[in-house]
Order: sequence, then structure tokens, then C-alpha cells
Amino acid sequence: MTPPASPQADGSDALLVERTLAGDARAYELLVLKYQRRIQRLISRMVRDSDLVEDIAQETFIRAYRALHQFRGDAQFYTWLYRIAVNTAKKFLLELKRDPLVTEAARQPDGDEDETSRPGNEPTTDETPESVLAANEIAQAVNAAMEALPEDLRQAVTLREIEGLSYEEIATVMDCPIGTVRSRIFRAREAISARVRPLLAHQSGKRW
Amino acid sequence: MTTHEMNERELVSALADGQLQGDDIARALALIERSEEARAYWHACHLVGDVLRAQELAADAARDAAFVARLRQRLQAEAPQPNLVTAIELVAVGADSERVEGQKNFKDPVANDASLRWKLVAGFASLAAVVAVGWQLVSQDGTAQGGAQLAQAGGEPAQVMLRDPRLDQLLAAHQQFGGTSALQMPAGFLRNATFERPAR
Repeated sequence: MTPPASPQADGSDALLVERTLAGDARAYELLVLKYQRRIQRLISRMVRDSDLVEDIAQETFIRAYRALHQFRGDAQFYTWLYRIAVNTAKKFLLELKRDPLVTEAARQPDGDEDETSRPGNEPTTDETPESVLAANEIAQAVNAAMEALPEDLRQAVTLREIEGLSYEEIATVMDCPIGTVRSRIFRAREAISARVRPLLAHQSGKRW
Repeated sequence: MTTHEMNERELVSALADGQLQGDDIARALALIERSEEARAYWHACHLVGDVLRAQELAADAARDAAFVARLRQRLQAEAPQPNLVTAIELVAVGADSERVEGQKNFKDPVANDASLRWKLVAGFASLAAVVAVGWQLVSQDGTAQGGAQLAQAGGEPAQVMLRDPRLDQLLAAHQQFGGTSALQMPAGFLRNATFERPAR
């Protein structure tokens, strides 16, 4: 199973790994916050048990933490983490003597879709009505915020988040200074997160 | 706008994109370290990006904080021994190619390696045998006494002496004709036992 390239690949991962190895456990939590959704989605395509998905995701991050000194930076951090997640899920399934339910797309990912894509609208059992509703609320809030953005902000954040361009590349595309790119992306995120964060606070019942 | 003019959230936004350099990185990380608000913004930045790329990633996003809190507890229970897990363990259930890749990352044998244990046991057993034999030889050098050492007399190879019971019977029956040497312990000359006549 070949991990797809992450559109968010950047140097901050290596930096956070370095700080974690230096003893800063909070730096590792930032990596968890960044990748936990993708890892859980990946596992949920192999295991149809919502409780097990979270357990395996937890175990994945624990195993990655223990083996972090072996991450040499040859590959992207997410690629390394992806393999640990897949192998951890397989190990769980072997121990439980259960058959993995792997979708066709999970076994044969192509270059145009990442691990977050699913063929059609195939449901997974970890999708409860509540989680579907919560996901829809957040997705609608993000989409509404995007539509409400000025064109330059929307274009900047789209080039960054969806196309995966660097600030320098976006500056070239939009013909503006890098500082302007950074500011536009920041303002776009501010506008979007302003709509999302109240939903998160409401859904979780508490803040950080 | 220079990086010094960025406000704190903009700093976190740029860090999330991996676009900071030098001191700004340390500033941003220190900010996230001390500010829950900055931490929540880091989460929001990545959540927004995830949802823009795939909307189903919004599912259970409200539980992200709980996930991290649970993981934090487990990490706190972790002893600072990152060497406990090797790449081999991580890829043990993977495909063959993955297993080979994992072995490349394997550096040192782990302490509880089964083969290492056997090697250790075998080593100790060999050492104990050598010490025992050595001690026996040393103790024989100066103090070798007694019948147990008879076979080594003169440093010559030991000779096996078989005693014929019929010869014993014959000698016993004709003891009056023989000397006392006839019934002594078997020795090399016994093979040539002779019939000694009484002294004239």
C-alpha cells in the first residue's frame, strides 16, 4: 500500500520531530493534531469498528513516538506515519483474528486521490448520525466561509490548501510579495475558523 | 509586512504552512507552548485545510481534543526509552518489501531477542565447563594421590587389564604351589603368571 503524497508536506514536520526528540512532548502533540484525522480516516477504511479505529490510531501515534528516533527524514513524516498506521491496523486485526475490510481504493490508491477519498459514498460504520451531522455542519460552515471570502483571499488559501503550493509559488502565481501571500492566507483562515470553532466548542462541549 | 509585524495568530498560521524561518519558528512554538488559544488555532488551521481537501475529515473533529488528551496521558506514562521499539517490529506484519525496508532500519539487537538469550546461555555453559575442567587439572598437579591416580602412573597411557576367572580358579586351587604374588592385584606382569615352586 503506497501512501499518497501529502499536500501539506513542509519543513515544519521535521522541526517538530526534532523538538520532540529533544524532549518537547508538546511538539509531538502538534503533529498529532495535524495528522490524527487523516490517520483515523485511513484506519477506518481498514477496520469497521469505530472504537477500534480510535484505539489503533492511538497505538499508531504511541508506536511512532517510541520509534521517532528512527525517523531519518528521508521520507515525509506523514509517509512514515502512514506505514506505521497500516501495519498497526494489520497487527490489531491479526491479533483479533478478524478479517480486514479493505476497500478497493485503500488497496490500490492512485495518484489523483489521497487516502481521504472514498469510492462513491460508501458509508463506514464509524459514521453515526451524530458524527455525520457534525461533519456536515463543519463542512457547510467552511464552504460558506469560503464563498464569503474576497477573491484574492479565496484564491490564496485554495492554492495553499488544495493545490499545495508554497508561499513563494503562490506569490508567483498571484504576482504579489510573499508577505502578502502569508497575510491573505492568514486572513482567510481567520474568517473560516471564526465560523468553525464555535461549532467545535458546541459539539465537544468544552474547549481545549 | 515583515515577520516582526505578524501578530501571534499569523505566526501560527505561517508555522502551520512550514513557512517560517529562524527565530520566528522558536517564537511560534513558544507561543503555542504557553497559549491554549494559539494551540486551538493550530488545530483550526489544519482542520480547515483537511475539510477543504476532504469534507468527511470533519467527522468527529470535535473529539480531536479528547483524542489528544487521551494520547497525552499515555505518553506521560511512557518511559523516555525510545529505543524499545525497532523498525522491524513496526513493519513485522507488513508485506515482504516492507519487512525488508524495516530491517534496513534495524540497528541494534534488542535486549530480549530470543536468539541473543540462547547465545548467552550457551556462552555461560561453555564457560562453566572450561572452569570445571581447569580446576580439576590444577588440583591434580600438586596433590595427586591415591588409587584413583593409578592409571596415570609414569605418565604412560593406561593399560586395560582383564582378569580371567578360570585363571583365578586355577591359581586358587594350586595355591600351595604358588607364591603370594599369584593373588595380588592384577598388574602388567600377571599376564606371564608362572607356577612358583616352593623353595628348595
